[in-house]
Amino acid sequence: MNRATAAAAQARDGSLWIDKRLPKLFMAPTVILLLALAIGPLLFVFGVSLTNWELVSMGNPTFVWLSNYIQVFRDARFWNAAKNTGIVLVAGVGLQLLFGLITALLLNREFRLKKLVTSLFLIPITIAPVVVGFQWRVIYHESFGPLNYLIRLLGLGQGRAWLADTSTALFSILIAEVWQWTPFVTIVLLAGLQSISTRVYEAANVDGASPWKVFWRVTLPLLKPTVIIVALFRVMDVFKIFDLVFLLTGGGPGSASESLSLYTYITGFRYFSMGYATALAVIQLMIVTVISKQLVKMMASGRA
Amino acid sequence: MSHIETRRKSKLGTVLVYVAIAVLLIINLFPVYWMFIGSLKDRTEVYSNPPVFWPKELKWSNFTKALDRGGARGIRNSLIVAGTGALLSVVLGSLAAYSIARYKTGGDFLSFWILSIRMAPPIAGIIPIFIMMRYARLLDKHAALILSYFLFNLPFAVWLTKGFFEDIPADVEGAALVDGWNRFQAFWRVALPLAVPALIVTGLFCFIFSWNEFLFALVLTRSKAVTLPVIISGMVGGHEIMWGEISALSVLTSLPVTILAMLLQKYLVRGLTFGAMRG
Repeated sequence: MNRATAAAAQARDGSLWIDKRLPKLFMAPTVILLLALAIGPLLFVFGVSLTNWELVSMGNPTFVWLSNYIQVFRDARFWNAAKNTGIVLVAGVGLQLLFGLITALLLNREFRLKKLVTSLFLIPITIAPVVVGFQWRVIYHESFGPLNYLIRLLGLGQGRAWLADTSTALFSILIAEVWQWTPFVTIVLLAGLQSISTRVYEAANVDGASPWKVFWRVTLPLLKPTVIIVALFRVMDVFKIFDLVFLLTGGGPGSASESLSLYTYITGFRYFSMGYATALAVIQLMIVTVISKQLVKMMASGRA
Repeated sequence: MSHIETRRKSKLGTVLVYVAIAVLLIINLFPVYWMFIGSLKDRTEVYSNPPVFWPKELKWSNFTKALDRGGARGIRNSLIVAGTGALLSVVLGSLAAYSIARYKTGGDFLSFWILSIRMAPPIAGIIPIFIMMRYARLLDKHAALILSYFLFNLPFAVWLTKGFFEDIPADVEGAALVDGWNRFQAFWRVALPLAVPALIVTGLFCFIFSWNEFLFALVLTRSKAVTLPVIISGMVGGHEIMWGEISALSVLTSLPVTILAMLLQKYLVRGLTFGAMRG
């Protein structure tokens, strides 16, 4: 905050109505809208999660207190969705960090058409996840998809129905997710790499360190805060994965590739079990809050 | 090691780098190419095995058919929802951002509370918002989407423009206040004109988020207010999948956003990390 502004405002006769009220007036519309759209619904979600409310049934909902939550912990389909989400989260973010770092290191060198190439790398993140889901559905298609064609071309067998097969459905979603979001990791890490002063490298070169050593001892430690921030952003996003699962497999076959968000959606909007769906939502909200707290802390310390 | 050997080694290194970049670029772009080419194939070419990598004749009829089958309505709805929402989010969000950047209104608590809303899982918001919109009789109306997209876009706009306002030296407005202007005049005539480019950038980001959003659009619309992602998803889940037409609609959905994002490239890191990284 700048004291100069406040002091200057007070230095004048200081009692102008607008001068006193402006900060709060400017703040009011946003706060009111967010209270109405976020806090109201939040309280509502907590309340409904304690009931057995079914959207289409005749009877009035009654309070069942914590029994929805107890049921969640005994629900094999919930644990399956949690496991799927966890797999995509760990493997997906891990692969995005790996490929993102490799690509960022490659793009951090000087070469011809660098600007154009960097732009082309970014295209996947600009595409709507629904469209990405459709694209990969075509790629994975059993009979006319280019992936199975490539497999046959290389003589690796006949290919398979990637999305209809229990053993590959989740893996196929994972690949599409990694494809779409690796460029995000790339550009953030690239920005991090570019902010490392060339003097640090010059000093390392004078000391005669090998490029490999420079990478492990200099580049990576200096890049670490950026890696953590970008990883948290991805973790938070992948945890909510919905669009790709919906488009690629619909959670199937059966519920083999269902994510937590999709299971919650199906519970709420296909089975209309609002009580149970809100309990599932509350659990996810709590997990995301833990992650986002961490991220917010990092963002705050980065600013200071 | 002799100098010549070192040079040869580094030349080999350069070639390897080029090859690696080329391979990664092909992996990155192939699905996009496949969508484009798919939108220009006729039915037999779509179903052909081995796949057709370049159609004999480019067929634009997939585009006209896709527009007739709801695509045109989808574009109109997406434009209304994303456009109106982006505009309102920037106007309201930038006011709040200015208030936080200059007067620390609400302190750290308020600004981080706003940020945490942006990070909350949409699935937790959609159930109560669906019920709210049903009671308000707003289901399948643009207003339902415009209002609910405030949940993502307002916090985003506040955080991004807050950073931009913080970049403007406060002394400029300080001088205006000393000259006898009130705080509103200092905002309107000094800070705002300087922030216009930043506000445009923020608005374009909001537009892209809403344009691509799926879950809320899926739950809150039925037929009249459906946006492009919902139409595409509906066509994919349909009885007979019209691969060519869906590809055409996918191209129409992606192309404007890809072009916008290329224009925004300088701000992409900053925008996608809500201002946490300056890029």
